[in-house]
Amino acid sequence: MQEPSVPIEERGQRAGVPGYPGPFAVGRYAAKLRDRVREFAPVCVIGEVTGSRIGRGPNVYFELRDGDGALPCAMWRTDFDKLGLSEEEFRDGVEVVAAGSCDYYPGSASASPKFAFRVQDMRLAGEGDLLARLARLRRQLGSEGLFEPQKALARPRLPRRIGVVTAEGSAARRDFLAGLERRSWRGTIVWGYAPVQDRRAAGAIAAAIRELAAVGQVDTIVVTRGGGSIADLWAFCDETLCRTVALTPVPVISAVGHDVDRTLIDDVAAVCCSTPTHAAETAVGIDCSLASDRLASAAAHLDTRARAAVVSRARDLARTSRAPRDHLDRHRVKLHQFTREMRASARRGRATRAEYQRRIAASVIERKLEAAGAATDREAAKLGGRAAFLERAESSLLEREAAALAARATALGSHDPERALDRGYALLLDGEGEPLGGVDAVRKARRFDIRVSDGTLPAQVRESGGADER
Amino acid sequence: MSAEPITYERAVERLEEIIRRLDSNQAGLRETLDLCREGKGLIEFAAGELDAVGKGLEELRLDELIARLEGAGAAAE
Repeated sequence: MQEPSVPIEERGQRAGVPGYPGPFAVGRYAAKLRDRVREFAPVCVIGEVTGSRIGRGPNVYFELRDGDGALPCAMWRTDFDKLGLSEEEFRDGVEVVAAGSCDYYPGSASASPKFAFRVQDMRLAGEGDLLARLARLRRQLGSEGLFEPQKALARPRLPRRIGVVTAEGSAARRDFLAGLERRSWRGTIVWGYAPVQDRRAAGAIAAAIRELAAVGQVDTIVVTRGGGSIADLWAFCDETLCRTVALTPVPVISAVGHDVDRTLIDDVAAVCCSTPTHAAETAVGIDCSLASDRLASAAAHLDTRARAAVVSRARDLARTSRAPRDHLDRHRVKLHQFTREMRASARRGRATRAEYQRRIAASVIERKLEAAGAATDREAAKLGGRAAFLERAESSLLEREAAALAARATALGSHDPERALDRGYALLLDGEGEPLGGVDAVRKARRFDIRVSDGTLPAQVRESGGADER
Repeated sequence: MSAEPITYERAVERLEEIIRRLDSNQAGLRETLDLCREGKGLIEFAAGELDAVGKGLEELRLDELIARLEGAGAAAE
């Protein structure tokens, strides 16, 4: 270490000690000492925490010890809070790895000097233990099925409102907005600002998520922060926070740390992203500008399709409607041709048939005439025979009838009363010329005629008392 | 389409189905006109969704949103 440039004795104030430079003003020497101490390279040291004092002051003080010695340590309160270590985690006896460099407070007239190892970052030395705790918690939440509910939620590709939980003014916020801009998304963002790296972080993040979900106005929630050590990101492994996320009815996208960091919230969230930008692109699943262009193209395509379909069908219909008419025309021509041919054929047919029939008829008539002539001849012959027979029969019959008549005349003549009159008999006839057959008939007639062979005499009954009848 | 609430994704998915069907040239005239009518409705819906996220980025703090909702609720009462 260099001594102060102007020893006091050289200014003639006091004598020093032989063999030693100086005397130097202690304040200046202390300041030089501070500067010299600060030149020590920053290192990590490991040891057990002892005498930790987390008060309200700007510094947190503690000592690190091991079997060979101890180092007084101081850490700015703001840096300590960023670690997110709870009082249970940062307690006497735990082993920590502290990163920092030597520092010396030179004191003042009223303040004591103090050497301290100025800790700028720190993690629990048993990070293996921390990771083991994380693994246990992961197994437990997994066994309870808490990794699944978020993944079962329907996540809109085009949310109107996105809730974002991050630190206000953080790089993650800026990166997330840049990601949204790349998607040309200009909807509504609801910021749920919360600390993301101290003892209060987990509770504040969980509260923000609960409230964002409760207002019912956001379609997706994004929880994001930049990278860091596992200690930095420990708030996102908080059991309560992870249970809150798992049971949130709105899909949660986590983007905590970088690719290599795997916090517990990544397991329970609907989607785990590597960066805030990636989270933005996941929350808005489409490029809005591109989607608008595609939509316009689809609209034009539909319009073209509809018009083409109508025009095409109209052409088909026109063609189809012409087809029957063309078909009919073709058939009409054919029919006309057939008709002409049929008429000609019919005329030819009729002439042929008439000639044929005429020939047939002539032949038939001729044959009929011949047959009729023959039949007439036969019938004439038969009639001649029959006439002769009849003539013979007639003459025979006449002869027989004449003989019979003569016989009958003879018989009749034998019974003729006239012949009796010739023999002297008389016939009494009434006024009507009817014969009177007895006395009673004569008395009854009273007047009567007496016919004799040569004439008739009138007569009457003459009644006399007791006279005989005559 | 099914009875489930329409979303942008479902609308775009159905629109792509419709365009595939139309491009196949297997749809008759009536089906083509019906599909075009349905497609235009879906396009209007999807365009509305895109418009809703294209007018301009609005940023709200959670407490502002809650206050706005509470104000709207009080006004409704």
